[in-house]
Amino acid sequence: MGVNPSAVVGIGQTKYNSVRDDVSIAGLCREAAKRALEDAEMSWSDIEAVVIGKAPDMFEGVVMPEAYLADALGAAGKPIIRVHTAGSVGGSTALVAASLVQGAIHERVLTVAFEKQSESDAMWALSRPIPFSPPTLAGAGGYFAPLIRAYIRRSGAPSHVGMMVAVKDRKNALKNPYAHLHMEDISMEKVEESPMLWDPIRYLETCPSSDGACAMVIAGEKTASSKSRTPAWIHATAMRSEPTMFAGRDAVNPRAGQDCARDLYSQAGITNPRKQIDMAEIYVPFSWYEPMWMENLGFADLGEGWKMTEEGATALDGDLPVNCSGGVLSTNPIGASGMIRFAEAALQVRSMAGDHQVPDCNLAMGHAYGGGSQYFAMWLVGANRPT
Amino acid sequence: MSNQDNKSPAGSGSSILEAPNILEFPFSRSTGPVIGEFMTRLRAGEIVGAKTKSGKVIVPPTEYDPETGEDIEGLVPVASTGVITTWCWVASPTSKHPMDSPFGWALIKLDGADTAMLHCVKANSASELSVGKKVVARFAENRVGHIKDISYFELQGGN
Repeated sequence: MGVNPSAVVGIGQTKYNSVRDDVSIAGLCREAAKRALEDAEMSWSDIEAVVIGKAPDMFEGVVMPEAYLADALGAAGKPIIRVHTAGSVGGSTALVAASLVQGAIHERVLTVAFEKQSESDAMWALSRPIPFSPPTLAGAGGYFAPLIRAYIRRSGAPSHVGMMVAVKDRKNALKNPYAHLHMEDISMEKVEESPMLWDPIRYLETCPSSDGACAMVIAGEKTASSKSRTPAWIHATAMRSEPTMFAGRDAVNPRAGQDCARDLYSQAGITNPRKQIDMAEIYVPFSWYEPMWMENLGFADLGEGWKMTEEGATALDGDLPVNCSGGVLSTNPIGASGMIRFAEAALQVRSMAGDHQVPDCNLAMGHAYGGGSQYFAMWLVGANRPT
Repeated sequence: MSNQDNKSPAGSGSSILEAPNILEFPFSRSTGPVIGEFMTRLRAGEIVGAKTKSGKVIVPPTEYDPETGEDIEGLVPVASTGVITTWCWVASPTSKHPMDSPFGWALIKLDGADTAMLHCVKANSASELSVGKKVVARFAENRVGHIKDISYFELQGGN
């Protein structure tokens, strides 16, 4: 792909929870960063640059937190870059970090993404009222519910599909010690009985509010090839975006997502993504987004994505396991959520995913989206060095 | 939580429509084990700094050595006396300032610390302040675990 081979050589995650009031924002980021350095067998001084991402500053009320976090992340006297792409930011941040290594600007880059939702109220930060207008939005669910309704109407998907995703991802989360939600008693009945928040999204079909941080060390071939390491080689990277509104926009199946996936597959020589990709960590904050993205990403034909969920293809033992970590439905520190997808894909191809490991996982996808389904970031990571 | 105070403009006597849009976000901060301990010790009338691996003492303390990113070794007490390393004079304090009468903002390096901390200095006029002047912290009577538990610094040995 015309870039220097690069790989993830260290991954660190915090324990995710609704309130991590035992640590400061700096302490939260350092918890993930130190674990990534330890995994990479490196110290702060080995890192040449830091790339940091989080969702809008209003979510904690710290303006330009990268300025305050530079020293906390060992970046004194080193380049530090902040990435802003709304909910997809964790993915975009990883891609910016990767580009610095792929472009041979740096050999070892630390990338960190975080959110500490407990320090303010992201839902209302996303629901600013407009004078003279009745308030129509209440958080992201208010925006996405009509798009989900449109998907159900177009595809004719039966109503239980969303609930199946909610149960599957929470069951997967039970196998992931870092996941925020550990709901031992999750069931279709529990999901169905939970309150309807934004029709057709029930309470248990939506993501939690989490505190947490995720970090990765990305390194060039020289570092990644050392015998003691288990690298996740980066096979393809892609980002696309489109405006929130324009005439003829299909917000249910956005063009930017389709184009992003097509670019990704072409870089890695993928012609049949469902067959050639072993697992995917996809940004699914509301249950119905699993079948919707299966179609947008080309894993299923138009109108057929829900059948993958219903047939169990996306389950841990299916032919394309999706969100084995429990996904965004089980853990959502917004700014970090995209990076967690990217990191979980890397853990899988390193065979380091523990109880939620997919056997013989050679190629995995990390995916993130943000804003009004308008920012997309994706990567493919593999167990083998790209040829 | 946001709060739209959309009072009806009708009957207000004005021909111009008004719709106040009041946006409020309550923020909270988790201080963590280091800043949290600094605040707790302030309440007790003590000042602590962070000791780094290289032996430097940083006040107010950070959770890490700001030069290297390494964890700190621990917290150590420092004196409530120190010297001014730089300063400026506030001739006309506003309601947001910590003092009612003219005062100085200063970076103060406490005895036992290697870095300086920002606080206010009580003095009769700017001419009393200079770099190197010795100052001492005056603690508030009622302390709550806040930087304002130090009411101000004053010149050591009187003004």
